[in-house]
Parts: sequence; structure tokens; C-alpha cells
Amino acid sequence: MSVIEVEGLVKRFGQFTAVGGISFQVEQGEIFGLLGPNGAGKTTTIRCLLTLIPPTAGTAKIAGFDVFKHQQQVREVSGYVPQDVSVDGDLTGYENLLFYAKLFRIPGVVRKERIKDVIRFMELTDKANELARNYSGGMMRRLEIAQVLINRPRILFLDEPSIGLDPAAKRVVWDYINRLRNEFGATILLTTHDMNEADQLCDHIAIMNGGKIAVTGSPSELKAGLGGDIITIVSSDSNCRQVLEQLGYRLMPRSQDSACDLVVDDGERKIPEIIDKLRSHGIGTLSVSLKVGTLDDVFLKYAGKRIGEGDLTFRTTRAVRRTARRHG
Amino acid sequence: MTVTRLFTDIFTITEFELRKIWHDSSQVFIRAVQPVLWLLVFGEVFSKTRVLPTGDYSYLQFLTPGILAQSVIFVAIFYGFNMVMDRDMGLLHKLLSTPIPRYSIILGKTLSAGVRSIIQALVVFILALLIQVHLILTPVSIIGVLLIITLTGMCFSGFSIFLASLFKTRERMMGIGQAIIMPLFFASSAIYPIDIMPVWLKVLARINPLSYIVEAMRSLLVSGDYHRIGLDFGIIILATAVMIILASTSFSRIIR
Ligand SMILES: Nc1ncnc2c1ncn2[C@@H]1O[C@H](COP(=O)(O)OP(=O)(O)OP(=O)(O)O)[C@@H](O)[C@H]1O
Ligand SMILES: [Mg+2]
Repeated sequence: MSVIEVEGLVKRFGQFTAVGGISFQVEQGEIFGLLGPNGAGKTTTIRCLLTLIPPTAGTAKIAGFDVFKHQQQVREVSGYVPQDVSVDGDLTGYENLLFYAKLFRIPGVVRKERIKDVIRFMELTDKANELARNYSGGMMRRLEIAQVLINRPRILFLDEPSIGLDPAAKRVVWDYINRLRNEFGATILLTTHDMNEADQLCDHIAIMNGGKIAVTGSPSELKAGLGGDIITIVSSDSNCRQVLEQLGYRLMPRSQDSACDLVVDDGERKIPEIIDKLRSHGIGTLSVSLKVGTLDDVFLKYAGKRIGEGDLTFRTTRAVRRTARRHG
Repeated sequence: MTVTRLFTDIFTITEFELRKIWHDSSQVFIRAVQPVLWLLVFGEVFSKTRVLPTGDYSYLQFLTPGILAQSVIFVAIFYGFNMVMDRDMGLLHKLLSTPIPRYSIILGKTLSAGVRSIIQALVVFILALLIQVHLILTPVSIIGVLLIITLTGMCFSGFSIFLASLFKTRERMMGIGQAIIMPLFFASSAIYPIDIMPVWLKVLARINPLSYIVEAMRSLLVSGDYHRIGLDFGIIILATAVMIILASTSFSRIIR
């Protein structure tokens, strides 16, 4: 059964279309990733699904509840960890949890037990009685997740769960997300612009760009869809791309750097052949590298650019910096 | 069932707003600086010069309720700003994603402004007693004044949250807070009697809820003359209700 069903969702801010008609489904117990660069519309999508802002058009159902008609029920089954800092620095970790336990109307008799459980699960025991503003970025993120776990939500919305964390802290958060699914049976929708994260965590991903979903599938499907290995050739000659096209090679869309990405079968054996052919056309190469396809390449293929080359608007830049500052 | 739920929701929001003061009480004192200066400098000087006709009472007696109201408004008018800060972080989004109704959030926040206001007003109150302003202190007058202070805090914090839903950014809310406080204060009976105002100002003061708030506190603390207190309370309660309704219906716009 689909726990999240989205059909033709549109969100406009004035003239500007942030989400331009997207559709996808998330199955029970799945970790689903919305993957896209800054300003792709990931956060806006999540906010529509959580009834925080009204969609302009389309339909969406969360656990069978319509986001227009059954807002209350949607909020009851969902847990939301926003992209920006959402713990109150002026309260202790324990108080932050107690606050949400009360807001979620957890009965007094089980409240203490629940809080203790999530503190243990998220490994916050040591600092539970310190003001949250003194927490490190990773602890803050764990506390934020702990807050919504108190309600044992069936569906979790995690907006860039590992933003601003160092690689070690990232892995810790990934671990928790996996355990959430395995131990609580939660369905998880997360957003990220980290390819590696999507690859490691998600059962399915949707690649989003400019408010549209370019492609959906499992990470391995999408990588297989690239149809082979990727050879990246850097040349100082500006004709390189044109010549390769004339020679009949499959090229990935142009990214901003001057490199040409070729999709080939059996890459290792093709390299000498390609270099020879280029040389016979009078084109020298500066460097050649080979890799098996990654999600990064999938993104390049469908979005026509590398992730991280997204247009940084004032708004998104500010949001990213702000988050980095708070966490860092 | 739903009524108990309503009250637990409201008290939860209020409780945690107040716990923040417990962790950091310095702001209570920072916010007290300005009212204290008004009372000590403005009040003392004008008391001595006797330029303002305050009838049978000293100017300090006349001014104290006005400054009490002022200290409350200083607390309340920044609630909208705080709301915008919570929005700029993820706090408000997370709060709004819980099942708790919008009006409970507003009632809880404004009630905490009311309680905070009492703490704030206590500072002014204690100072007034220290400099020996003669005030009527009976159980009725004290309870009455506490009630008025709470309602005032709720009324103006509601107003401020309503403004935040219109203006949305920190910079604008900061400016608006400052732009509003002084006119609100001068176009009321807080620092001089309405009788000596020019006509246009009289009209403004008559529609300014702050005038009725100050008038009610004056009846309770200074004159002991209760003949208009029913009207005063009626207007205070009405203004508070209107502000809370406005804030509840509009404030989720802050995140749009
Ligand atoms: N309230 C708003 N008013 C106007 N424009 C908005 C609003 N919220 C978002 N936008 C715009 O909508 C677009 C999508 O924003 P959104 O925050 O959904 O992107 P995102 O994919 O979450 O990006 P990021 O990776 O930076 O978080 C951006 O161009 C943004 O400027
Ligand atoms: Mg985002």
C-alpha cells in the first residue's frame, strides 16, 4: 500500500513556480529520497505534504488522508524534522523532549518512559540536562529527530537530515535513520543533495530539478540505466566534444567544466582506442579517468548539470549559510 | 474532554515559554531599564515642577500605572518579532506540524506574555514602593491590577503576532515595534491627563485601549474611585478578544 501518494502537485509563490506538477508514491516501510540541487523545490514539497502551506493544485494523500481535507489527521501521523534548526536553544534537551511529549498529548503515565526511550535511542543521555544551544551540530540533529520520535510517527519527513554535519556525524545519523525504519517500521521521506547519502540510505529516489521530477527509481536501477562506464576526458582543445560526437560516442550532457563524459561498455579497453582516435584528429588530451556510474552521473544525465551547480538564489544561499552557521 | 485538552495545550505552550525565563532571567532586568528610567527621571522631575494638573494626586502617583502599562507593552510588542525568529529557524514549522490547533498556540503564547508581564511589572511595582509612591494596596486592587496586566500582555502580544503575519521579516518587525510603542504611549492617558490634550489627540486617546488600561489601574491603585471600572474592563476584554482572534486566524501566514 502506498503511504504517500502525490499526484500533479503544484505550488506557486506569486508568479514563481516552486513545484511544477510532480507525482510519486512511497510504499509502507520505505526510505524515499527527494534528490535535487538548491532551489529544486524539495522543502516546498515537504511543506505541502505536511499541510504547512496550501498547494496551488494537485492532490496528495498521507496514510490515506487528504492534505486539503484532513489536515488534523495528517499532522497526527506525521513527524517533521525541518531543514533549519528546530530545537529551542533556550531550553534543555530534556525540556525540548518534554515539550513535544506534551504537545503530542502523550499520557502522563507513559511520558517519562517514552522520553527515556528516545534519549537512549538517540544517545543523548549525557547532555540531556544541558541547554540545547550548547550542543554540537550532530547532537542537535539527533535531538531534533528524537523530538518527533516521541510520538512514534508512522511517517517521517526529514528535510536534509545530515546538512552541515561532518562525515562521521553523517554516518551516525544515517545509522539512526536505518534503525528507525527497521525497528519502528516507519516510512521515511527525506530530501538531500548528497548523492552518496541517497545511494546509501534510500530504497527509491526521485531526482528533482527546477520544480519537476526528472526520473524516479531505485539507486541501482538508475545507475544501471546509465548503460555502462563513464570515461571523463579533459582536453585543452575546444573541438574535443564535437569530434567525439562525430566519432559516434555517447556523450553525457555538458556540465560546466570543460570535461567530456562518455558512456561506454567495457571502459578499460576503450581508453587506448579513444585516445588514438582523438590524436589522429589532432586533439591532445590532458587527463583521462574511468569510473563506474554513480548517482551523480544519473543526475547529470537527467538534469543536464552536475548537482551543486544549482542556481543559488538569495533565499537559498541565505538558508544554507544560516544552517551551516548554526550547525557549525 | 476537548476543553481539558484545550487547556493542557495552552498551559504547555505557556509553561515552556516561562521555563526560558527560568534559564535566563537577565532579559527581565534589561527590559526593566526603560520603565525604571521613566519613573525615576521623568516622574521625579515632573513631580517637583508640578506642571501637569493631576488633581489631588502627586504626579508620581499618576504616572505609576502608566509606567506599569508601559513595561507590559515592552514585553508584549516583541512577541511578533520572536515569532518571526522562530520562523527563520525551523521552530515554528515544527510546532505547526503537530496536531495542536492554531488558536491554542496563540492562546498559549499570549498567556505566557501575560505572565511574563506580571514578572516585568513587579520590578516597576517594587521600585514605586521603594521611592514611596503612595498606592492603594488591598487584595481587591492587587488582584484587579494583576488581571489587567495579564490581559494587557495578551492583548498586545496578540497584536504583535498579528503584525508579524503581515510584515514577516525581522527587520520590519524591529522597526514596527519601535514605531508603535511611543505613539501608543503618548496618545493615551499614561503620562498626562486626557483633559489637557488637543482635540485630535483626545480622539486618538479615547480609541486607544491603553487609555482604558491605565485608567482602570489608576482607579484601583490611586483614586479608589470605581465608577468607570466596568467600562474599562469591558473594553480591555473586548480588545484582547479581538487581538487573539486576529492573531489566531492570520498567524500561520508567517510561514507562507
Ligand atoms: N515562501 C516563499 N516565497 C517565495 N518563494 C519561495 C518561498 N519558499 C520557497 N521559495 C522559492 O521556491 C524555490 C524552491 O525552494 P525550496 O526551499 O523548496 O528548495 P529546496 O529544494 O528545498 O532547496 P535547498 O536545497 O536550498 O533547501 C526556491 O527558488 C525558493 O526561492
Ligand atoms: Mg530545502
